[in-house]
Parts: sequence; structure tokens; C-alpha cells
Amino acid sequence: MSRLPLVALPAALLLPVLVAGLAPEAAEAQGYKLRLDARYQSVSFRGVDLDSIPSTSVVQLSGQGPATPDGFAVDCGTGTPGYCYFYRPGNRLRGQPLTTTADLTAWGFGVRGLTIRASGRVATDLADRTVWPGSEPAVVVTEGYAEYATEYLTGRMGRQLITGRLGYQGFDGARASYRFDGAGVEVAAFGGWGLARAVALPVTSPALNPLDDYQPRSRQLLVGADVAWRHRAFDLRAEYRREVDPEVDYFVSERAAASAEVHLAPKLRVAGGAEYDFANGWWGTAEASATYTDRRWYGTIEARRYRPFFDLWTIWGAFSPVPFRSVRGSAAIEPVKGLWIRGQAERYQFDPDEAETPLVSAEDRGWRAQIGATAAVARQWTLEAGLRSEFGPGASSRTVDGGLTWRPSERTFFAARAGTLDRPLEFRFSDSKVNWVAVSGDVELSDRLRLASDIGWFGEERRRPDAAAFDLNQVRVSTRLIVTLGSAADRLPRAVRPVTPGGSQ
Amino acid sequence: MMPRWLPALLASLLLPLAAAAQQRPDGFDHPAHAKLFPRCETCHVGAVRPDASIWPTTASCESCHDGTIERRVRWSPRSAAVPTNLKFDHLVHRRSAGPAASRAGGAPPTCGSCHQPSGSGWMTTRRTIVGQCLDCHKLPAEHLAVADTACSTCHLSLVDAKTLPESRIKAFGTPPSHKDPGFMVKGLKGHGALAKGSGTIRVSASCSTCHARDFCLSCHVNAPETPLIQGLGPDARSLAIKAELKAPATHRSADFDRRHGTRIGARAEKCSTCHTRESCTACHAGVPAPAVRALAAFGPGRAAGALVARKKPVNHTANFGEKHGPVASAAARSCSTCHVRTTCLECHRPDAARTSGFHPTGFLNRHPSAAYAREASCSDCHDSRQFCASCHNQAGMTSSRLLGTGANYPDAKQTFLFGHGQTARQGLESCDSCHAERDCLTCHSSVGGRRFNPHGPGFDPNRLARKNPQMCAACHGLNIPRR
Repeated sequence: MSRLPLVALPAALLLPVLVAGLAPEAAEAQGYKLRLDARYQSVSFRGVDLDSIPSTSVVQLSGQGPATPDGFAVDCGTGTPGYCYFYRPGNRLRGQPLTTTADLTAWGFGVRGLTIRASGRVATDLADRTVWPGSEPAVVVTEGYAEYATEYLTGRMGRQLITGRLGYQGFDGARASYRFDGAGVEVAAFGGWGLARAVALPVTSPALNPLDDYQPRSRQLLVGADVAWRHRAFDLRAEYRREVDPEVDYFVSERAAASAEVHLAPKLRVAGGAEYDFANGWWGTAEASATYTDRRWYGTIEARRYRPFFDLWTIWGAFSPVPFRSVRGSAAIEPVKGLWIRGQAERYQFDPDEAETPLVSAEDRGWRAQIGATAAVARQWTLEAGLRSEFGPGASSRTVDGGLTWRPSERTFFAARAGTLDRPLEFRFSDSKVNWVAVSGDVELSDRLRLASDIGWFGEERRRPDAAAFDLNQVRVSTRLIVTLGSAADRLPRAVRPVTPGGSQ
Repeated sequence: MMPRWLPALLASLLLPLAAAAQQRPDGFDHPAHAKLFPRCETCHVGAVRPDASIWPTTASCESCHDGTIERRVRWSPRSAAVPTNLKFDHLVHRRSAGPAASRAGGAPPTCGSCHQPSGSGWMTTRRTIVGQCLDCHKLPAEHLAVADTACSTCHLSLVDAKTLPESRIKAFGTPPSHKDPGFMVKGLKGHGALAKGSGTIRVSASCSTCHARDFCLSCHVNAPETPLIQGLGPDARSLAIKAELKAPATHRSADFDRRHGTRIGARAEKCSTCHTRESCTACHAGVPAPAVRALAAFGPGRAAGALVARKKPVNHTANFGEKHGPVASAAARSCSTCHVRTTCLECHRPDAARTSGFHPTGFLNRHPSAAYAREASCSDCHDSRQFCASCHNQAGMTSSRLLGTGANYPDAKQTFLFGHGQTARQGLESCDSCHAERDCLTCHSSVGGRRFNPHGPGFDPNRLARKNPQMCAACHGLNIPRR
């Protein structure tokens, strides 16, 4: 269980109920919006157990190499001399994460323009704690800041999340932005103690180190600046971020990015952007695209280059990851009302990596393609089907799936999906085939309450000749309750007298 | 086929009944008694004596209708006051109207001046004939079109007419001014301008005769801030007259939804008559804009106003979620009208164990092929350690011991190690989701292991050593080589 199970479990269960009962009165003086999202999930699958036998007990299976007497292929080349290793089917593992996420925005504290925003979650796993990713730590504050906004100036203080071309970045600190409304220009600067990339936890958190790896001893200092120039015909943005380890005063990262979007015509947009890594002295991910969006069809062509990025406190960057370049296009068209046909294709190739070996051949290029259709077969029924195929370094797959959605009202839908997947992996011993069936439902019980649930079965068939061809069959269940609360501004009666063209009803 | 004589028969039967009903509005056949009573006061003593009832007594009728002289009739005078909003008093009117008429050179009014059509015979009485009241009072207009100051001549305000039932209020006639197209909007003919009283009177009597504050609250959100409305007394009976909230003509233009923000600008008070803050927040998500916050929230003492129904844009079809990316990036400002960042972060967020809305059903099964050559930038939303490695760890996919100690991945090809360099440089982020750095240092370290050099194309040791020599020290110790 997590480190705070006694706190987290009751909190995750009771928080929505308590707040639903007490908060409106308690916060009557202010305006506020509060959204609580409680989600229970359950997944179960069979694990694996490492086992070994003396090498003298190993038998030779016909045409399949060394194995245990009961048919498990063994690895005798590594490990303790005299022993061979293999994996047996283990116990059935079960994960039951219970997560409650709260998003709160409050205003009206007597200071015009002052807003408080907080977002966080309480989570616990009712079963094995590491089966489900990210269920630790028990309490995570994603955002929690005060914002003061005037017509031109906006200031924030607290834990906040900035999003941009350089990805999600959380930090505890301050951010200020100023808008030159006449010119359409906004400049912003921020600084504080940074969080790890793509997660609302400091890099020192044990939750970020499940493999007992190297980890910094202190949080990095983050500074950065953004500038945006927004015009009716274009949108230009540039951003800069620098992270420094205060303990040793060395860089964790130093990057900049620029992006542009130009509306050449009312329906035609071209966009592009690039990142530059000052620490490594190289260009990172970049892309350029053109998109045409019409009412009945749209299409995009894009050229992109993807390069992974690693913080300098890890050694991964020293292994010289290479980028790949790709060209891709996508299009969708509605040939008849209610029928959308979509297609997408991409071809990519990695840059030379100077690590080829004659001993093993590995792919350095690949492609992906998919085609799908969505049809509104009746007013409340939607049918979807898709075909996807991909081939590339490390993996390939072929997927056929489809689904049926019934939407009896704006507030309710039920769906069923099924599919099959062939997944040969380049570096794996066995290929596998996965079939799945899932049903889901989503009901808005009222303006404040929404209930959603889904259950799915995933059956995996492993194609390997030995006894280790055990399955990774899974059953996944999820139930979700969303409560939306608010002060007077949110407690809306149903629209009994909507203003419509032509007068009231 | 209907016989020809039938209409004639029906007419002959019904016409007398209709005539009788016309002549006997109060049930008493005045013309039939015309020869018996030369004066009204004979029966209606109260018209001249303050201590007497206006109605005749039972005994006075029974003096004839005793069952012998004439058939008996059932009559008893009313004991309660007649529900009315008139402030008329027969005695007062008789005392004051006579001298006033004399001063004006006219004849003193009689009962027939009000209750008998001009030129008709004796005892052809009616209920009060309003037109004749207006004639005497020199008010040359229809009853409901008289000047504002004239209403209070005869009428109490609705609030003061406490005995008037809702059924009577509901039956009030509609003044001609209310039918003017400009009556519901601002302007000289608007009801707001007409409602202003004169002198020290805040609200015109023409309004307060038929309406009370509750009626205004049917529509007016800004009632507490409007002195005219507050000048009226509260009275729930006023709701017997139904008000209909109509959208102004400006709201009917096709592009009103799109342009109303520009029209409002910073002058939200223009909207505050009909709209509460809820009108805006029905559609506009997020922290309310200053113009929204300037509007009053729905609450006691003000109308609910125009409650707006949220409508999806026409392009939000069933599968819009799949294609919203290009549209959203092309017109992000349009999206922000109804959606807040939280909406986006439902799927696009760096937070595991939350929702699974971004990836389609079944993605988990094919995520290896999507991850090996980044179909999307996984690390924008997922931390490879917390998200990938924690799950792979439990599924037996991570390296749990040092490489070469018998803990190879259960499904790994045994020859993979010989060609892993190329794979690693192409998909290092995938390696990171199962392997710790120490796994690589087993061979790739200058201070131990097999001392294989891991550096490849584009590696700039001097720059990296300058930026963060700690990374170099992991393999090189203190002897970091320079080129």
C-alpha cells in the first residue's frame, strides 16, 4: 500500500461527498467552481516469476534449444555459473487504484482580478501498489496558485504548470505576463523551483525512481520567458527555459523553441516550429505542416523531425540518441452527410547512428498507415471501424477494430468496441495476438453529476513453442464519478426560458 | 339537413334570454320595477346615509315579494365589501361632485350619470359606465389610455387594493401603449420611460394601478438596482398578469452569438436588465471575464432573467474528438469560449492514474510499436520513470538485477545484446522505460566493466563537460577527457 493509505483511502472516498455537502455553504461569500473526479479502476493479469535450474537438469527440446524438463526455454549464458534461468507464470496480480482529482477555481475575495486555483489528487491502490502506473505518491498537488489579473498584467504565485512547445513544466514560483493589446503581443517571465518533466513531482521524489537509479539530491531552479505575437493572420511564439542544479550550479537543461502559424487563406493554415538544445548544441524536434480545413473535409501534410531530449543529470544523452525524419499526411472527408472517412500515413527514417553491427540486423526505417470510418447510421447510433498497420524498428502491428455507440440523449451514451491485433516485436522471442472486447457508458445524471464506467477484456495469445507461452490476459474495469460544484455562478437551473431567435419560449 | 324553422325557434328562445341578461347584469330587473321606485335612494339608502348599507334589506323586498302579493324572491344584502380597486365613495362623490359641477356651469350628477346610459329611460341601470365617468371628469380618452395622473382619481394602486382577487387582476385590460412595438425597449415609448412618475411620485400611477414589484421581477434582473421597480410595493398577486421576456431585435441576427462579446465590450450594464451572470456561465467556462462578473448573480429580489441554453457548434459532431486537433490549433480562441484548460488536460496532461481519454481503446496493446519510433511525443505527457518503468517493473519487463546476472527479459531474443547499440540510439526513451543507467554502465564505463565507448554522432564532450560535468563523472570519474 502507499505511504499514506490511512489518509488517502478515506480521503479519496469521502472527499467528493464531504465537499458536495459542505462546500456550497462554506464558500458562499466567494465565487468558485469545484470539480471532483473520483475514479476506481481494476486490472488483473498474471505476473512472471524468475526461476532457475542447475544446468545439469536442462534438456534439449527438439529444434528449440535448452529448456527445463517441463518445457520452459532457459537462458544459460548469463548469471551464476552452473545455473540456467527462466520465467514461470507467476501469481495473478491485481491493481485497484482509487483516485480522486479535484480542480478548484475561486474568486471574489474582495480584490477584483484575484483568483485562486488548485488542482490535485488523492490516490491509493487497494491492491498491489505498483501494478498501476503513477498511483504514488498518495497526494499530488498538480497546481495551486493565486493569480492577480488586470487588463494588461497577470501575475501568478504558487505551484503552476506551464505548457508550450517544450512540453509540460511544473514549478513552484512566480510568473508574470504583460499584454500589449494594441499590438497583440504578450511577454511573460517565470522562475522558481522546477518539477520533473511531465509529472507534478520534484525530481527528488522516490516515486520517480522505481529502478533505484541515479537521482539528483536537490530540485532544479527554473527560469524562463515566453513571447507571443498574435495577429489575425499569424501567431508567432518563442520560449526559453533554463534549469540549473543549485547544489553544483550546473545545467540540467537549457532549451529554446519557436513556432509560427500563418493563416494564408481563411481555410488554409501553415505552421511550423523547432527546438534548440543549447546544452547539447543541436537542434531538437522540428516540424512544418500545412492544413486545409473545410466543413466537409480537411487534410494535413507534415514533415517532421523527432529527437528525444534528456536532462543532463542523467547519462542518457551521452549515448547519442539519433533523430528520425518523417513525412506524414492525414485527411478526412464526409462524402455523404453522417459518414466520415479518415486516412493517415507516415514514413520515417532514422539518421545514421554509427552503431550498426554485422552480427544483428535492425530496422532503421518504418511506416504507419491507418484508415477508418465513422457513420451515423441512425440519429442515435454511430458505427466506427478502423484498420491500422505499421512496421518499424522494434515493433510492427496490424489492428482491426470497430465500435458501436448509442447516444440516446445529449447526456448519455453507451458504446461497445472490439478489435484484434497482431503484434510481432523485433527483439522479442514470441509474437502475440491480442483480442479485446469492451463496453462503456457515460451518463450525466444532473448538471452536477456524471457517472461513467467501462469494462474490457483483453485476451493475449503468445506464439512461442515452449511452455512459457502463457498469456497476459487482462480484465480492466473502471468506474468514474464526476461532481461539479459551484457558487451562484454555477448553480444553473435548467434553461426554462432560453433566448432564441424570434423571441422567448 | 337542418329544418328551416329550427334557427328561428332557437333565435326566438335565446334572444329574450340574452336581452334579459343584458338588462339585468346584477340579477335585479331594474326596468321591471321602474314604475315602483321614483328614486334610487329608496332602495340604496347607503348612497345618501353613511350609517346605511348601499344594498336594500331583505325586508324591503319582502314588503311586496311575500308570497301573496308577489312570488317570494331570495335576496339578502351583501355583508362583505365588494372586491374592488376603486377608491370611490358614493357619499363623498355626491357631496363633492355637485358643487364642482355647479362651479363648472353644469348640472349636479345623479346616480344615472354613472349607472345609466346617456339618453336611456329611467332605471335602465348598468354597472358603472366608465366612459361617462371620463366624460364628467373631462378625460377625452379611452379608459386605459387616459393620462397617467388620472388613474388615481378613481383607482387604488394594486398593492392597496388588497381585496381584489387574482382572477380580477388577470382580467385587466391591456392599455394601447403596451401594444406599441417600442414599449418593451428603451426610448421615449419604452415602458421604463413611461413608468417614471412626475413630481415626488417615483412610479407612475398608470403602472402601479395594475402592477406591483413582483410583476417586474418576472423579467428584470436589475430590479434591486432600479429605483422605479423598488418604488412599487411587493405583491404576489401581480403575477396574475403574465410577462413575456422577448429577445431584442439585435439578438436575432445570425451572427449574434459570435459577435455579442464585442457588442458588450465593457458595458455589461446594457445586458444587466435581462441577464444574470448565469446567462453567461451557461456557455462561458473558466474564470468569468470582468464583464460577466459585473453582472449580478441570480438570487432573491431579482429575476432569473434570460436563461441561455448551451448549444454545441455545428461542427461538434459525434466523432469531433478525433479531428479536433487541427481545428483547435487553427482557432484556439474560439475553443476557449466554452472550454478551459482543464477540459484539455482531461486527456492531455502529465498525470497518470487519471483518465484514459486521449488514447483510443486498445492502445495499451499496441503501445510498444507506437512508442519505439515515437508516433507522438510520449514524454510530453508521461514521465518514463513514474509512468512506464513502474508498470513495466511489475509486469517483469524491467531489469531487476545487474545485466548478466540471469535476469534477462523473459521474452528477449538472446542475440539482441549484439545489436542493441543501433536500437538504443534509435529508441533511447524506450530503453529508459525498462533499464536503469547502471545497466548500461556494466559495459559502457571508463572506470569499470568493458569500457565500451557509448558516444556517437554529434557528441560534443567539451560542451557537455562545460554544461554539466556530473554526467561525465558517472563514467569517467574525475578524469574527464577533453578533445
